[in-house]
Amino acid sequence: MTRMIDIYSILPVMIVAGWALLLLVVDLWIPRHRKGITALLAAIGLAIALGFVLASSGNTILGFNQMVVLDGFSSFMQVLFLVSGMVAVALAYDYIQRMNINHGEFYVLMMFSIAGMMLMSQAYNLLMVFLALELLSIPLYVLTGFARTRLESEEASLKYFLLGAFASGFVLYGTALIFSATGQLDFVGIAAVVTAGSANSVLFLIGAALLLVGFGFKIAAVPFQMWTPDVYQGAPTPVTAFMSVAVKAAGFAALMRVFLVLFPSLSEHLTPILWVMAALTMIVGNIVALAQNNIKRMLAYSAIAHAGYILMAFVAFGNGEVVGNTVAATLFYLVAYGLTSFGAWALVIVIEREYGKGILLDDLAGIGKHYPWLGVAMLVFMLSFAGVPLTMGFWGKFYLFRTAVQAGYIGLAIIGLLTSVASAYYYLRVVVYMFMKPGEPKLQINPWVSLVIGVAALAVLLLSLIPWTILELASRAVLLLQ
Amino acid sequence: MPVIGTIFYAFLAIVAVGSALGMLINRNAIYSALFLVLNFATVAVLYLALGAPFIALSQITVYAGAIMVLFLFVITLLGAEKLPGYEPIKGHRIVAIGLAFVFIAELVLFFFFRNQVTGPIPLIGPEFASPRNIGVLMFTEYLLPFEVVAFILLSATVGAIMLTKPERKSTTKLSQQQD
Amino acid sequence: MLFQEAVMNSTFSLVPLVVFLPILGILLNWLFGKRLGEKGIGSIASLAAGGSFVVSVLLALALLQNHEGAHIPLFTWISVGNLDLSWVFRVDTLSVTMMLVVSGVSTLIHVYSIGYMHEDVRHQGEPKRFRRFFIFMNLFVAAMMILVSADNFLMLFVGWEGVGLCSYLLIGFWFEKGEGGLGNAKAAKKAFITNRIGDFGLLIAIFLIFWNFGTLNFAQVFEMVPSVAQTQPGVLMAITLFMLLGVTGKSAQIPLYVWLPDAMAGPTPVSALIHAATMVTAGVYLMVRTQVMYMAVPGAQQVVAWVGAITALFAGLIALGQFDIKKVLAYSTISQLGFMVAAVGLGAEVAAIFHLTTHAFFKALLFLSAGSVILGMEHGLEAGSHGHGSNHTDGSNHTDGIHHDDPQDMRNMGGIRKKMPITFIVYLIGALALAGIAPFAGFFSKDEILVAANQGNMLIFVVLVVAAFLTAFYMGRQVLMVFFGDARSDAAKHAKESSLLVTVPLMILALLSVLGGGLNFPGVHTLEYWLEHTLEIPHATEFIVPIALGSLAVALVAIFLAYLVYGRKPLASAKAADPLAKPLGVFFRWMNQKFLVDELYQAVVLGPYKKLADFFAYPVDQGVIDGLVNGMGSLTVSLAGALRKLQTGFARTYALSIFVGIIAILVYLLTRI
Repeated sequence: MTRMIDIYSILPVMIVAGWALLLLVVDLWIPRHRKGITALLAAIGLAIALGFVLASSGNTILGFNQMVVLDGFSSFMQVLFLVSGMVAVALAYDYIQRMNINHGEFYVLMMFSIAGMMLMSQAYNLLMVFLALELLSIPLYVLTGFARTRLESEEASLKYFLLGAFASGFVLYGTALIFSATGQLDFVGIAAVVTAGSANSVLFLIGAALLLVGFGFKIAAVPFQMWTPDVYQGAPTPVTAFMSVAVKAAGFAALMRVFLVLFPSLSEHLTPILWVMAALTMIVGNIVALAQNNIKRMLAYSAIAHAGYILMAFVAFGNGEVVGNTVAATLFYLVAYGLTSFGAWALVIVIEREYGKGILLDDLAGIGKHYPWLGVAMLVFMLSFAGVPLTMGFWGKFYLFRTAVQAGYIGLAIIGLLTSVASAYYYLRVVVYMFMKPGEPKLQINPWVSLVIGVAALAVLLLSLIPWTILELASRAVLLLQ
Repeated sequence: MPVIGTIFYAFLAIVAVGSALGMLINRNAIYSALFLVLNFATVAVLYLALGAPFIALSQITVYAGAIMVLFLFVITLLGAEKLPGYEPIKGHRIVAIGLAFVFIAELVLFFFFRNQVTGPIPLIGPEFASPRNIGVLMFTEYLLPFEVVAFILLSATVGAIMLTKPERKSTTKLSQQQD
Repeated sequence: MLFQEAVMNSTFSLVPLVVFLPILGILLNWLFGKRLGEKGIGSIASLAAGGSFVVSVLLALALLQNHEGAHIPLFTWISVGNLDLSWVFRVDTLSVTMMLVVSGVSTLIHVYSIGYMHEDVRHQGEPKRFRRFFIFMNLFVAAMMILVSADNFLMLFVGWEGVGLCSYLLIGFWFEKGEGGLGNAKAAKKAFITNRIGDFGLLIAIFLIFWNFGTLNFAQVFEMVPSVAQTQPGVLMAITLFMLLGVTGKSAQIPLYVWLPDAMAGPTPVSALIHAATMVTAGVYLMVRTQVMYMAVPGAQQVVAWVGAITALFAGLIALGQFDIKKVLAYSTISQLGFMVAAVGLGAEVAAIFHLTTHAFFKALLFLSAGSVILGMEHGLEAGSHGHGSNHTDGSNHTDGIHHDDPQDMRNMGGIRKKMPITFIVYLIGALALAGIAPFAGFFSKDEILVAANQGNMLIFVVLVVAAFLTAFYMGRQVLMVFFGDARSDAAKHAKESSLLVTVPLMILALLSVLGGGLNFPGVHTLEYWLEHTLEIPHATEFIVPIALGSLAVALVAIFLAYLVYGRKPLASAKAADPLAKPLGVFFRWMNQKFLVDELYQAVVLGPYKKLADFFAYPVDQGVIDGLVNGMGSLTVSLAGALRKLQTGFARTYALSIFVGIIAILVYLLTRI
């Protein structure tokens, strides 16, 4: 029987999904040249959902026969997703008009995807994990190909779809193996079987490894990262920004939820795998980013590298003593990275004149002179990305490194330090081009995008000074473990 | 398990794997599609043997019936029966086949040599997969997943329409790419 | 009595002002600078630095009453879990000594800069950057003050990074100038990246400290050092050596010294303040501050002493082969920093701080006077070219690597003594102080280091004596080449003495260079008694007459030799070879080319690193991009055709990569179960 408490547990998700449905219909009466209304309505829907998330935070509820859980972790993640959604709408509004792809379905699909992410953060059953993964992915495949008259967009979409389906296959296979090992799908049941020692440990382990592959694809960890640069480059830039922040966060939400609840007993076997994945991700992401001239590709590789830093703290997922720090540091980093990333991509949107035309470093020349505030904002983002001390990115890395060191992974921390030192080179190169090369940039400045850039820069600066406020929030956003 | 059951299962398994391989290897799209129909049908028989007639029949009607017919229509309409026989990246296929064998070998090692012996899977009652039971489960215990699936299908539909509906403006010519 | 104590404590609580006065200066100049004009901007910045100095003096006076100093908390910086860090100022004799040096020298250099930058911004054609310069300079003072007043490692690191940033900004101040329009920017980048390597060492040291001690507070860490030294000597060894890596970056020691000579691309006041007097000594300060740790591991002390001594010798050799007036001083700075580092390694922290202080005086003096010379040369250059039309139509100028219009090349100078008498006198005082001629400041401080070496390690003593000999020799060479003989270029012929704004700070610094030795005068040892309240002093410094006389003799002999080589027969023209080039042959060329260390780093570190990046870039990126280009090569191909081509071409590669990952994971798991 469905009870009120079940409804209450996923109310924000229902609001987002229901609002998207209504918007799909309402959009039919909104003329093509006034799609700003759709954007506004979408943002309002997300804002209402945000209100409900905030109102219902602080509770811990298992709903729908333990299919979903509402806890501090899910609330924190949902705030992140909803804010990302609103930012993405603000970024998209002008962009999709400029690129002549302003269909109302853009916002509807984005809301569907957000609903999937929110569900992902709440999933407490492997079936729900898989469905949430699909609900967040399928609209994104479409959004990636939204500029369908463009070869790059179509190509990116198809690649993303094919590889995404491939990865989903592994998630499903892993789920099936775990089911056959334990006879259960919901977390409570699986955990009970594992504690009782009656699970088939081999099947359980392989199932876990295959789930890791699927989630590794979503967070773009090496060697499952190869789609990232192509898709980030080909997709409409606001979608890319949204993907680089929200999808990555959703991938980590799934990873943490599933691994921390179900697989601590496997950490002996999985930790070395995660160790190598984290190390490779940091190394490959940063080193390849060095060789990029195209800003979109550079940011794509940088997104890979940042996932590596988070993975570094996640390696210790089986260590009960530091796991609280892992979650807090990860959530903090996702916020820091999200703010910075949105800012940087917003700047790409401002520069991008023609769809799919690669933005090279040379296109940045002269921005510092002609648009000093924009240049300063980008300087803030790049310094934060590079983890220059006292920026928000620095605190994020500091907390991650601290967790890794606490758990005893000094080697990983050293790799992280070395690669982040190397990363300073390509981040600062952006600044050098902006401020030290003469040029006549022609930018498409739109009030909404400027707002995003300004707010992101101010937020990064402010939170650089008071990082512990976010960290405290993140520390309180604990997971319901069992 | 009685011997006759094992033989029956082995036969079905060989047909299922063989038809899947045939679908993959064949370079004629029509043949591939037909192999897929055979594959779906074989799996449906497996479902039937496992005591799930409802799922077996849905498999036949939805996949082997509706979807495959649609596939065949599309293939014949587009005239894309023949796939080109070349390989864009040399050696890719050999590597992929080799890796696939390694993968299979690994799974065999895991499941048959490293696996621990577990008790038999508890038997399921005859009513377990009846349409009635499925319906009840879907609207009680699995209500939320059911609804989520609806949303997934909806977003896929919206996406399909978005990606295929003709643009009012003519497509602009692609400018020269540079990267 | 009570009243007096209250006054004292309230004096101590003034300490945040040393940081916030410069910040106030920045804000004022930033908000109102545009309307104030150059005089206003310069006055505000100088007053801000001067205010810091006044506060430092007040603190020093209060410390005379209460030697123990105080900890003044400002606010809690981070408080999460067991990590509790606050921004606390540490007032003790060591930090106040550093504050006095930093703010005092800064104030003088700020005043000097008003005159210097007035000329420089016009010479470079960008008068608007005047304001920016002073904002950066004040920012530097603030950061340096944070560094020296920190009460924990994190705040120290904040200051450490802050001064690094200012150094970067100021080296690249004329970022669009220099070789090929990129020279200065490259120099700035080099400094930044080299320093990042060092910072990385410091960061690891700090992590290790936090991990093993559970705190970053100085007092708490030092308290625990003896017990840690007992139980985990290896950890302490690692901490001190990683810290040493940080020091080699910031204080320009082997192997990370390479950035400092290039840093001379910055305006001369910057070279004087940051790259001679203050910032580069931060490493020495760090090691003196953490002396307890170094004393606990003699092995690390040995390494420190050798790094310092070898740097002192090596940089001295390079200085001998340079022709750029500022480059000679830069290598001399590296060499003198080597003396200080060696002193710390020998356990003579007081001598290190003493030399640090006197060096700040005379090296700032030398740089600023060199700046004055350069101003004079630039002035002469303009006057010369106006007077004679074209004075360098001769194309052969560039073939031998000499630019006739390079105002910093000593070969273009000569005879400036008569044109710029004040500059000459102060320069001579600075050079004598540096060379270690009694009774100038450098003699006493260098002597203390030599005494410590003599008592500690004879081999290091010999190395340092040779380095001292080289110091006197290259300073003699420089003074003779610049100020004596005849003018070797039009610029030198028309050189003009600088304005009072420039020369008055020079005179003050010259006075300090003469009297600085009194700080720790033999027999009186004021500085030692002063620092005793903060530092552990294992054995008091002695004044050993034979060593003092010996080092004086070495310096005099070196100067006499320099006279024989460069003074008796001055260079005939700007194109004449150095008289040492012939007898020393290849060795001189090596010295001139800085022993090819930059090239070595290029070949051994940077080259392979770039190759590695290319290697990663090629299969992943080039492959994909080439594929894209190929795929879109023929635009007439229909969308579907191109797509299919791309899809069959590359998505499978990506899928293969995923597949390889899965198989690798499963293989690994097979080995585990």
